[in-house]
Amino acid sequence: MRLSNVSKAFGQVKALVDVSLDLHAGEVVGLLGDNGAGKSTLIKILSGNYHADEGSFEYQGRPVTINRPADAQALGIATVYQDLALVETRSVAHNIYLGREPRRFGYFMDRRKMERDANVMLEELNIRLASQKTDVELLSGGQRQAVALSRAIAMGGNILLLDEPTAALGVEQTQQVHHLITSMRRQDKAVVVITHDLSDILDITDRIAVLRQGKLWAYAPSSETTTNQIIGWITGVAPPHVRNGAVEMNNGSDQ
Amino acid sequence: MISALKRQDNWTLIGLFITLLMLIALFSWQSEFFFTTRNFINIGQAISIRGLIAIGLTVVMIAGGLDLSMAAVAAVAGMVTASLITLEVNSVLVGVLGIAAAGVLGSFNALLIVKFRINPIIATLGTLLFYRGLAFVSTGGDNIVIGVNAWSELGRGSWLGAPITVWLFLAVVVLGMCFMRFTVAGNHLYAIGGNSEACRNVGIRVDRLRGWTYVAQACLAGLAGLMLTSQSGTALPSALNGAELDIIAAVLLGGIALSGGRGGLLGTLLGLLIIGVVQNGLILLQVQIYWQSVVRGAILIIAVTLDSLRRGGGYR
Ligand SMILES: Nc1ncnc2c1ncn2[C@@H]1O[C@H](COP(=O)(O)OP(=O)(O)O)[C@@H](O)[C@H]1O
Ligand SMILES: [Mg+2]
Repeated sequence: MRLSNVSKAFGQVKALVDVSLDLHAGEVVGLLGDNGAGKSTLIKILSGNYHADEGSFEYQGRPVTINRPADAQALGIATVYQDLALVETRSVAHNIYLGREPRRFGYFMDRRKMERDANVMLEELNIRLASQKTDVELLSGGQRQAVALSRAIAMGGNILLLDEPTAALGVEQTQQVHHLITSMRRQDKAVVVITHDLSDILDITDRIAVLRQGKLWAYAPSSETTTNQIIGWITGVAPPHVRNGAVEMNNGSDQ
Repeated sequence: MISALKRQDNWTLIGLFITLLMLIALFSWQSEFFFTTRNFINIGQAISIRGLIAIGLTVVMIAGGLDLSMAAVAAVAGMVTASLITLEVNSVLVGVLGIAAAGVLGSFNALLIVKFRINPIIATLGTLLFYRGLAFVSTGGDNIVIGVNAWSELGRGSWLGAPITVWLFLAVVVLGMCFMRFTVAGNHLYAIGGNSEACRNVGIRVDRLRGWTYVAQACLAGLAGLMLTSQSGTALPSALNGAELDIIAAVLLGGIALSGGRGGLLGTLLGLLIIGVVQNGLILLQVQIYWQSVVRGAILIIAVTLDSLRRGGGYR
């Protein structure tokens, strides 16, 4: 997946200016930047929630348009939103399969199958909840994160967009999410992860993209980057450093 | 079982059920006429017509909407039906056209709310006045008398000892419960009321589903209008005027949240029964008519207070 020269303004606020990125199968991109840098906006453009003012998208070499969330889903893009986008008054299982509920006779919901599948899903991801029948409003922040993540993974797409998936988590749970990200990479998915936590970022990502005031300030392989450099880019102390598309990691094919 | 008890919806239902039993015990003790088959049929008859509208409103509110125009829609449907009957149109066709007219009014509500994004309270307050006005203008304010004919069966007939209106109401309750619980669309309506943005993100057709709830609500109101006309043999442009508040009170009392996503038709049924039993009991005890209005108001206040308490915070 490649995006070229994407721009987006909210009135006077230029949230994104001329951003180009490419995502490859089996590769994790860490998307970093200060608050208000435009990270969430970029994710929401890719997920079809916002429409880019300018710019174009290519998927496996073909030009594509993303106007609605359904378009993004059709391309295999699954998103964990910063606000998680969960329905508090519904069960864990329904939240995981929201919009893709198993059906019977066309119009009826197969609740049993949904709950069974949810159980399998949560077990595979090594996520422990009291019951998949519990309503989400009774869950803790970390458990909610897990449900949102399970939904995105259950969609089974090739591209996973994670907007601050570890924001509400403790150390151990953060490790677990990082584990999941690594296993997504092994399954040849393309992952974009937004985070403010720089401690493990170089270990779990293949490339780092830094947004600053809506511009792509830095884009570089993680192996050639240090934490101090990243901090320099985020704060703007270090000069822009974009090595766009020049790196071919793991012989990753274009996604 | 434990998780079933954790759900506040279930506690609401248990509370309502106990309240209902206590009210029945109270009135049975106070009046010898209360605990009789005849009186229970009276209560059933009294709540079934408004109940139909309450069922529709429940579905609208679960999806996070509101409809204040439903009683006016029922009045228009009654007027349309009665004028067609006086023109001696075929009975079945009359029924279909009466409900279709209501459906058109419901589509207009849906258009305002879903397409033009007008707040449902404002939109249906507007259409409430508009539709009520139409009902009056259609005859210049006169009633349409249809008398007793083939049509009267719907409102006055009975089957297996109970009025047809009650059977129809119960049938709609059961169908509605099955729809909301077992179909994908019903579950989506709950989810939309809980978080419509999340539903849009996963590709659920939020606007379309919401729009249909207003049409369905109007069709049920239309059916209620038909039953009322048939029952009284007269179509009144002022039919059910003011009933909106009792209906909303029953729905809120039953545990439906003003904010959507919660509650169910069983709660609404219990809410209707409680209000029905109270109104019936007050009449049997020959409480002065003005006091009945006070009690209706009190029930509405209790219902909104419960709604606010359930949300754990209320108005700020
Ligand atoms: N829906 C919106 N309407 C108006 N302004 C917005 C909206 N979303 C984001 N912005 C603005 O765009 C900029 C980028 O926001 P965002 O992408 O959320 O930043 P980040 O996720 O990097 O913290 C901010 O200045 C923010 O105020
Ligand atoms: Mg953000």
